Order: sequence, then structure tokens, then C-alpha cells
Amino acid sequence: MRSLRRFIDKIKPQFQKGGKFEKLQSTFEGFETFLFVPDKVTSAGAHIRDSMDMKRTMIVVVIALLPALLFGMYNAGYQHFLATGEAGTFWQIFSYGFLRVFPLIVVSYVTGLTIEFIFAQIRGHEINEGFLVTGMLIPLVMPVDVPLWMVAVSTAFAVIIGKEVFGGTGMNILNPALTARAFLFFAYPAEMTGDKVWIAGMKEGTGILDGYTGSTALGELAQNISERIPADLNSFLGFIPGSVGETSKLAILIGAIILIYAGVGSWKIMLSVFAGGLLMGLIFNGFAANEYMALPAYKHFLMGGFAFGAVFMATDPVTASQTETGKWIYGLLTGMLAILIRVLNPAYPEGMMLAILLMNVFAPLIDYYVVESNVKKRLKRIRRSPAGNRKQTY
Amino acid sequence: MENLFDLFIRNVFVENMIFAYFLGMCSYLAVSKTVKTAVGLGTAVIFVIIVTVPVNWLMENYLLRAGALKWLGSSFADVDLSFLSFLLFIAVIAAMVQLIEMVIEKFAPALYNALGIFLPLIAVNCSILGASLFMQEREYGTIAEATVFAAGAGVGWALAIIVLAAIREKLKYSNVPEPLRGLGLAFILTGLLAIAFMGFGGIEI
Repeated sequence: MRSLRRFIDKIKPQFQKGGKFEKLQSTFEGFETFLFVPDKVTSAGAHIRDSMDMKRTMIVVVIALLPALLFGMYNAGYQHFLATGEAGTFWQIFSYGFLRVFPLIVVSYVTGLTIEFIFAQIRGHEINEGFLVTGMLIPLVMPVDVPLWMVAVSTAFAVIIGKEVFGGTGMNILNPALTARAFLFFAYPAEMTGDKVWIAGMKEGTGILDGYTGSTALGELAQNISERIPADLNSFLGFIPGSVGETSKLAILIGAIILIYAGVGSWKIMLSVFAGGLLMGLIFNGFAANEYMALPAYKHFLMGGFAFGAVFMATDPVTASQTETGKWIYGLLTGMLAILIRVLNPAYPEGMMLAILLMNVFAPLIDYYVVESNVKKRLKRIRRSPAGNRKQTY
Repeated sequence: MENLFDLFIRNVFVENMIFAYFLGMCSYLAVSKTVKTAVGLGTAVIFVIIVTVPVNWLMENYLLRAGALKWLGSSFADVDLSFLSFLLFIAVIAAMVQLIEMVIEKFAPALYNALGIFLPLIAVNCSILGASLFMQEREYGTIAEATVFAAGAGVGWALAIIVLAAIREKLKYSNVPEPLRGLGLAFILTGLLAIAFMGFGGIEI
């Protein structure tokens, strides 16, 4: 470790102002602070002493995503072996899934980080760690069979149009990972929906059992076939077709506990998203005009990306509401909209992505009015208090 | 009744004037810098649309359409004045805007100053003429339908501009690349918002 420090100290001057590689300063700095705690001290302005800087925050989220990722890999293999009717050992299954999912991760990280580095060099700011999470989320919300070049294109779109044009990490309006998914969803619907894309190797169709359908529970429901929904326990554990990271609610629950325990994810948002979903589900149960509406409300949580979105996407501290009251409103509306789109919109079986994007759009407005009402409340308090209006008290 | 509710919701969210048709972009982009002025302009647009579309509906059905003049006598039964519709619609809109301008100047001078040139420009706001033309094209049967459609279109437009204004107020603190500051980013934002609004496309109530 010490020799590494010495090596970095030795080459450091070349990357500082006037050095040979001055242009690459932010790249150098990015790697240096990745390995060592920076020795720089803020010199001006108000700041808070806390162990949570952006790097720690992002690492915690990545750790929280790991259970979902590992299970996603296993499930990719499991679904493939199920579809082909072969039997495999645990390691065969896992390594098959690993080989399908790992390229997605590599492509998303390489594309995204390259763009981030280029932007950081040109604009002369530090490399932000935000992409560590985005790069992990993008493969997790993709179907396992998505072509790699599409991952690259959508990642590039999300990072450039979704984030960098707004000034980089922390200033974007829409969640970048969902922007990537929405981009693919609308640009190449054939690769993102239907009953062929969720199982590895199903599109080529070699070795797949006759009559095996790889559709998701939501896909079935959109066509009002409710008898083929997987059992609750299977959905909870995650042995169902779906996007890589969204299937296992157990893994997501572990992630949620990590996020809440570390204070990174907002439990208010998670709770209110689920409350909103439950509320909307119960309202539909009240109407019960068709099979989908009559579906028990809790089942919505076990299908599709609802839980994944609620825990990892809706809680994004940048794009969610920032005020505490706003978080409740934001979460509640996200949950309600997700179920609303799912049930009422046959064109889009999964409403979570679009609901979160839409609420990202409305989050600043919610914040604006929460702040306004706070200002009004305080002004009223001042006017009532003796200090604010002495004349009345005398 | 249910039909009218459906019509209203559809026009606010699904067939939003901005995010589905991109009508009325000029004032949408120019006056969306602060929420306060956006709310003002949005309200003005809602009002103008709600008044002009029903008036234009009456024009359309009792004056312009082929056979609309039947009430004057059977000799007018095959008169078709629909080539005048642009002219008459715009005239109605311009007159209404004039009226509203006077009202706002009298009762809310601060808003009047903030809106500036864009208040008279409502007269040529594409979404307002667009609403009247959609009303003509879609052949709404009753004046109630036309009014509800107008309310939906206006509320949708106002919602869009207020949302954009809130985002742009937040973006004031962002380190946006120099060439994109202001209008450039507003264009990109509008596109992204339209993607987010696509979630409503195809909803059946």
C-alpha cells in the first residue's frame, strides 16, 4: 500500500497545473481518490462534517444492489435451463447466467465511464461517482437478451442527454438509468417487450421446449390471462422471467434494509410508494370491472419492477423530491401512477418506469409548493409572535 | 357525464397540447423561467381557450359549416363558408385576448408587467388556434363537449408550462455547459418531459 502511495506521489506533479499531462488531471484525481482518502480540506463556505461523501454513498448503493445482481445472474441461467428442459448443477446454472449478464455490465460501465471521463476532461471538473450506481442499474433493468449495442446506445443517450447536458451528477432531472430504459423501450419496443426477450437464448429459439412461453406475469395480465401468474412464493423469491435485477423481491428487500440502515435511501419514499400502490390497488378492487382490476392489491408488489423501482429508482436523492413533505407526496403519487398505468394502459404492461419518470418531472414542482407553503406558515407565525408584531402585544 | 370526464383527462394528460402536439411552443419556452409568471400565463391561456373554443363552436355550427346556415331559410341550406374559418377563429381569439389584457392590466398590474409582450401574443399562440381547429376537425357534437375539451387542452398546456418552470427554477443552480444555457436546455428538457408523458399514451378510461 505504501509503495503505491509513493508511486502516486511521484507521478502527481505531472498531472497538476503546468505538468505534462495537465489535461488528464481529473482522470488522475478520480483514480487517486478512489484508492486513498483525499488530503484536501475545504477552505471556504459552510460545510458539514460527515463520513458520508458521494463516494461512500454510491458504494453503499452498489453493495445494496449486489444481492439483486447475483440473484439476477442465477435466475438468468435458471430460466434458460428451465426453458430448454435441461438439468444443471448450481454452478452450471450460475456460470451460464453470469456469462449472459456480465457483458451487459461491462458494456454499460465502459460506455458510461468513457463519456463521463471525456466530459470531465473537457469541462475541467472532477469525475463524479454517480455513474457507479447508474452503470449498475442499467443492466439490472434490461431484459437479459437485449443486444449489447443497444445497451451502449441507451447508456450513451442517458449519460449525455439525461445527465451531462444538465451539468453532470447531481443536477439531472430524470433518473439516468430509467432514461436509458425508456429510450430503448420507445425506440426498440420489439427488444424490450413481449414474451421472447426475458429468457436468455429464447429469441434464437434453439433448444427451447415446444410451447414454452417466456412471458412475464404483467404481460399475461395485460391480455387478461390471470391463471398463469406464478405462485406468490416464486414471485417473492424471484424464480420468474423478468428484467435481470427485478425478479427477486427477497434480494431487493435485503438491498432496502442496507439502504435504510446506512441512511442512504429514504425510507419515507419507499414506504409511501408501497402505500400508494396498495391504495390504488384497493381502489381498483373496489371497481373490479375486469380480472386485472380484481387482482389482490398486494400481488402488484410481487410482479414486475414495482419493488425494484420503489427501492432503488424512486429513492434516487437527485431526482426525487428533496423536501420531507414532498417525499411523501412524491412517493404516494409514484405508487398510484404505476398501478394506474399497469391496469389501465394495455400498451405498457409495466407502469413503474413511466410512473417514476413522470414523478421525476413533477418533483421540482412539488418541492416548490412545499417550500412556498412553509414560507407562508412561517410568515404567519412571525406576524403572530410578540417579536414580529410588538404593537399588538403592547 | 363519464364521457366528458374521460375527454377532460384525455386532453390534459394523453393528448397534451405541448407533449403530444408541440403547439404553443414559443411562449412555452420563453415565459417558463419562473413558476409565478408561468402560473399567470397558464391561467390566462386556460381562460382564453375556455372562452374562445365554445364561441368558435357556435360560429362553426351556425355560420361556417356546409349547411350551417339552414336556420336562415331553406335557400341557404347549401352555403359553405368554411373557407372563412381561419379568419373568423382568429378574429374571435384576438378580441378575447384584448379583453383579457385589459382585465389583467387593471386587476394584476404586476402580472401584466411580468408577462410583457407574451400576453398580446396569446392571440397568435398556436395552442389556442389549434384548440379551435381541433374542435372543428373532431366535430364535437355539443357545446358542452367543446367546452370540456377546451378546458382539458388549456389545463394541459398550463400544467406543462408550470412543470417546466419549476424545473428551470431548480436548474438555476446547475452547472450547465455554456452553449446549452437557457433556451437550448429548455428544448432538450421539453423532449425529455415528452418521453415521461408518453406513459399516458394509450390509456383507456
